[in-house]
Amino acid sequence: MKTVDIVERIEGEAKLVCQWDKKKISDVKIQFLNFRGFEFILKDKPVLDALVYTPRICGICGQAHLKATVEALENIYKNHNEELTLTNKAKLLREIGLNIEIIDSHIKWFYMFIMPDIVKFSQNSLDEYSPLKGKKWLEASGVASETIKSLAIIGGQWPHTSYMIPGGVISDPTLLDLVSMQNYMDQAIRFYEDSLVGIELDNYLDFKKSEDLYKVKGDLKDFITISFENEFEKIGKSYNRHLVLGDSLSFEKGKVNRKLIKNIDYENIEELTINSFDIDKSKVSKEAYTWSKTALYANNFYETGPLARAVVQDRSFVSDVHKHYKDSMFTRVLARMDELGFLLHKTKQLIKQIDINEESYIKPKVSLSDFKYGVGQGSVEACRGSLYHDVEIENGKISKYDVITPTVWNLGPGVDGKLSTSQKAIVGSDSLEKAKLILRSFDVCSVCTTH
Amino acid sequence: MNSKIKKPKIVWLQAITCNGNTHSLLSANANRLKLFLDSFDLVYHPSLTTDILLDDLLKKEEDIDFLLVEGAITSNKEFFQISDQTTSEVLKKLVLKSKYLIAVGSCASYGGVHKKFEQNSDILGLEEALEKKDILSLIHPIVNLTGCPVHPEWIFQTLFSLKEYKQMSLDEKGRPKEIYSYLAHHGCTRNEYFEWKVEAKSFGLKEGCLFYGQGCRGPMTHSNCNKILWNDVNTKTRAGMPCIGCTEFDFPRNNMLETKKNIGIPDEVPLGVSKRAYLSLAGVAKTFKIDRLNEKIIK
Repeated sequence: MKTVDIVERIEGEAKLVCQWDKKKISDVKIQFLNFRGFEFILKDKPVLDALVYTPRICGICGQAHLKATVEALENIYKNHNEELTLTNKAKLLREIGLNIEIIDSHIKWFYMFIMPDIVKFSQNSLDEYSPLKGKKWLEASGVASETIKSLAIIGGQWPHTSYMIPGGVISDPTLLDLVSMQNYMDQAIRFYEDSLVGIELDNYLDFKKSEDLYKVKGDLKDFITISFENEFEKIGKSYNRHLVLGDSLSFEKGKVNRKLIKNIDYENIEELTINSFDIDKSKVSKEAYTWSKTALYANNFYETGPLARAVVQDRSFVSDVHKHYKDSMFTRVLARMDELGFLLHKTKQLIKQIDINEESYIKPKVSLSDFKYGVGQGSVEACRGSLYHDVEIENGKISKYDVITPTVWNLGPGVDGKLSTSQKAIVGSDSLEKAKLILRSFDVCSVCTTH
Repeated sequence: MNSKIKKPKIVWLQAITCNGNTHSLLSANANRLKLFLDSFDLVYHPSLTTDILLDDLLKKEEDIDFLLVEGAITSNKEFFQISDQTTSEVLKKLVLKSKYLIAVGSCASYGGVHKKFEQNSDILGLEEALEKKDILSLIHPIVNLTGCPVHPEWIFQTLFSLKEYKQMSLDEKGRPKEIYSYLAHHGCTRNEYFEWKVEAKSFGLKEGCLFYGQGCRGPMTHSNCNKILWNDVNTKTRAGMPCIGCTEFDFPRNNMLETKKNIGIPDEVPLGVSKRAYLSLAGVAKTFKIDRLNEKIIK
């Protein structure tokens, strides 16, 4: 038997084509049928305009794209032995902005994109989670919009600012601005404590063992209870391989393929189009079924995202939960909400570290248009996982731009008989509803995939 | 509020988009968002509602009061399809049931960033994508709420005023006059630097005007950003990022982060000001070296 279903509410839509055998999914194809051509749009554009274009790849993780672009452009300077000096303040302001965007996204994702589907599995009626009307939905959207104000203080607005630029950032916040940012973080922390986990953040961050799951109260407890009632800790498992490309003050790069290795070489990244559509029809194979490409690291599929970051960084609570429940749907969702607490704490610390007397921006001595030719790469950790940009410039224009988004790592098509990370996670499911939940657990971004 | 009065029905369609307008809406002031949700019936939004799928919506007979469209439109199915149809087909079916049609953001208005994908030559804004026969049910001209993204307040103000007064006055590009007759420049905290022609020495400073070197299009761009502020707290130009003219027909332009100059003077001068007038004034202003404007604001 074959079923074809459209999944909405994943920042766009995808088609889930399942093959069933003995009431279980034996094969699955995840089709992204839209293509927006950003890599083509960027071609021949003036180099710095990339800072305006790439945030518009995605209305949710635009600042991650911005940071990847600015780092790729700064990498061009480095490759010309003209490495730019960035002040600590500029580095902090960039990372803080990105973290705020991740915090905002995680809050919205839990309440708007996964809980409405999770509560359908509950024996109780949990109307508080109803979209647009429920108390919890409204509270979460309110907190998210308050939180993002702290990014607007340094970026001018959100979504879609280009406040990072080679050499630093464009804004120069006052101490009072930083205090306001702290206030917004504190409001979000209060929400985390009062509503999401029901205990103080400091106590939550002290969790070390999976038994601590029972200490969680609040809305996350609803998720944990429903999960164990429905054995979500047993479904959605994939290769249990994890990848983190971005390196920052908040996250560590590395990969786990049975054992943890904290070294990443971009040379090992490979992007394939065997099962993907192509703008050049002569290159499209008969098997092609999606606009998403396939991303491999050292010839293997890896999972990227909050679970990968927690495992690579060995954050004790999630690591122990992961030891028990592996890369299940349960662990994946829990890791994302754990990361929310971790980032709230971390981002407050980072704001505190800013020395307002430092420069925000140091003008590069040479302009990128002075280079006849240049290449650069940048990778950052976005809400949904590792994001990679690879740019090539010629005489002040972009000659090639390649973007690999987190959703491509997680949800691209399998190749050579090997299932991709999400395909492997879905195969074996005994209901379509569960398969859709597993898909959702990756925090799918259709617009990013269809860049 | 009298709950017996039927709330106007809203459908939000996403076409070729980055979803930035949706997330701008979700970033609205929480009280305003709540009032909006209490006052209207948001029947369908692909990212937010769970009751019905697009396919069900298309099959329903029910009328739509306000159809809001985010993203550009194409009739090319190879590049873009939603629920097995082109965005153009879906749009036309929905418009025929609607009273008002509102383009949310620059892509829906004119094609925007997505129109730059030239390999698909058929990417259009709403007005271009629809023929006369498609819009027979509309009781008002299409409203273009431009901006990349749109400001959530523009959506609320438009919906509430159409609900109350049934019509609003539009400029020649289909934008509400009361929003887009202002310039982004109006209300910028850097205005004094503009008056005295004191340019920002570089990015990353509180001081100086971004019109002279950083490409700011505030004096030529129709929007009231600096009147109503973004996320309740700031604007790009206040923070130090040049206005990139995202509410205009020709967005995105080339070289958005630098000012094209001719003998040291910006090539384009503020809207409606003659080059001669501008040059004379700039010349005079520059002869006065005002210490306060050349020092740090906070010493």
